[in-house]
Amino acid sequence: QEAAKYGKKVMVVDFVTPTPQGSSWGLGGTCVNVGCIPKKLMHQAALLGQALQDARKFGWHFTEEVKHNWMTMTESVQNYIGSLNWGYRVALRDSKVTYENAYGEFVGPHTIKATNKKGIEKLYTAERFIIATGERPRYLGVPGDKEYCISSDDIFSLPYCPGKTLVVGASYVALECAGFLAGLGLDVTVMVRSILLRGFDQDMANRIGEYMKEHGVNFIRQFVPIKVEQVEEGTPGILKVTAKSTTGDQIIEGEYNTVLLAIGRDPCTRKIGLDKVGVNINEKTGKIPVNDEEQTNVPYIYAIGDILQDKLELTPVAIQAGRLLVRRLYAGAAAKCDYVNVPTTVFTPLEYGACGYSEETAVEKFGEENIEVYHSHFWPLEWTVPSRDNNKCYAKIICNIQDNERVIGFHVLGPNAGEVTQGFAAAMKCGLTKEQLDSTVGIHPVCAEV
Amino acid sequence: MGWEERQVRGYAEFVRTAQSYHGRPIFALFCGDKDAEGRSWCPDCVTAEPVVRKELHNLPDESVFIYCLVGDRAYWKDPNNEFRKNLKLTGVPTLLKYGTPQKLVEEECFKAELVRMLFTED
Repeated sequence: QEAAKYGKKVMVVDFVTPTPQGSSWGLGGTCVNVGCIPKKLMHQAALLGQALQDARKFGWHFTEEVKHNWMTMTESVQNYIGSLNWGYRVALRDSKVTYENAYGEFVGPHTIKATNKKGIEKLYTAERFIIATGERPRYLGVPGDKEYCISSDDIFSLPYCPGKTLVVGASYVALECAGFLAGLGLDVTVMVRSILLRGFDQDMANRIGEYMKEHGVNFIRQFVPIKVEQVEEGTPGILKVTAKSTTGDQIIEGEYNTVLLAIGRDPCTRKIGLDKVGVNINEKTGKIPVNDEEQTNVPYIYAIGDILQDKLELTPVAIQAGRLLVRRLYAGAAAKCDYVNVPTTVFTPLEYGACGYSEETAVEKFGEENIEVYHSHFWPLEWTVPSRDNNKCYAKIICNIQDNERVIGFHVLGPNAGEVTQGFAAAMKCGLTKEQLDSTVGIHPVCAEV
Repeated sequence: MGWEERQVRGYAEFVRTAQSYHGRPIFALFCGDKDAEGRSWCPDCVTAEPVVRKELHNLPDESVFIYCLVGDRAYWKDPNNEFRKNLKLTGVPTLLKYGTPQKLVEEECFKAELVRMLFTED
């Protein structure tokens, strides 16, 4: 849309290869269809369940038992996503951007082939190309994985309640899904190969795990599935999972209605003809290395989003990179995408917001003696009356002593962590120091005042 | 079989008519009432109607086009009227594909390209 604003002739080629279970979706990418949007809505559904329990302590009386209906929630979520898909199509058409619902791949210099779902092929040429094909969930590579397991691509449109679920993985995708499924009242187990939330501050990651464990999520640590078999067909059916320990020879078995794989995502870069135009990719990971202007090794081909090597996999980052790139190309702008101090939030049952360095990375980069960590537990006022945990919410900032105690890391674990973190991210971008933070008067009574 | 048009007035008649065509693609245009001279109190509806009518030949076979007058201005302005409450309409004119989140609202209905997209694409 940005390029069309500058008078360029633009086409978008987007196609979703259905999952092994047959799930597919409309225009908008992962975030809108099988990521952030449905995730946050289902997380909200789970939070509301908790709120209903708290409500009684605040004086609300309801005589009926409170139960959750999966189909009602899923229909509403999918309806909303459908309106977003439609909105994007209207916006593209209105901006005179041509949209082809077809699978695009390079066939030669400046040329792509687009194949639609009926198999009809068309060739298109262009002056420049931007690759933003994103990623798809990885499968285990063990017997029964593609036939019987589902992934995040399937869960948000699952036409039946998943029931007793085994989530394989310890990424934020795994923990967020396990979190809301448990919050909706389902029996959930998480199978973790090694650590939780690799790449995130591990102290915070462990606190999240502890909270989830205390609130009914089972964890099986240091095991990986080696086989998935079907015991009974159905929606859902019954699956038997055999798993092996990563530290010995122990084998365990378990039965679940649904097995959700969340062990990682792989870039969609291997089958789009990049070799035909000479674009380098990291053979091992599939990611595309780019310079700080999102340009690949082929000057007329650019790439943005999750497929980039060494860059953050976040929707707002991709959007920002795309817009700035187009402005640099066609509007004479010079601004590059700033990948430093990008805030992020993990929507586990106890939300975690972060911006900047984790404690481990700060120690590694600056040395333990040069950083100071200030931290605090806090008890949200709203949790006091219903007697919810009084020592679980936690916040810490990491400061660089050698640079005026500049705040280089911000971490908060508590309700509405995303909302809290956004403001602090802006402050950090302005160079917030501990002294400035101390001299800012807090809003009372809110969690953020800590 | 081509497509057919039905003209209805008010919420109850709309729902009855839509239900009678269950199973076929249904498109609906909601406009403000017209006076004795055939002019609507809604100026945007006056602009949109000819644009929509010009694109009707693009309707898929077997589909139904329901032209629905919602009521007078006072009825429409009431935030609790049935169209707002049950069909989630936010403005007139609204052109929608019944049973899907696909719709065009107000000035979007003036654009032939968008109307055509609503009628012809999935």
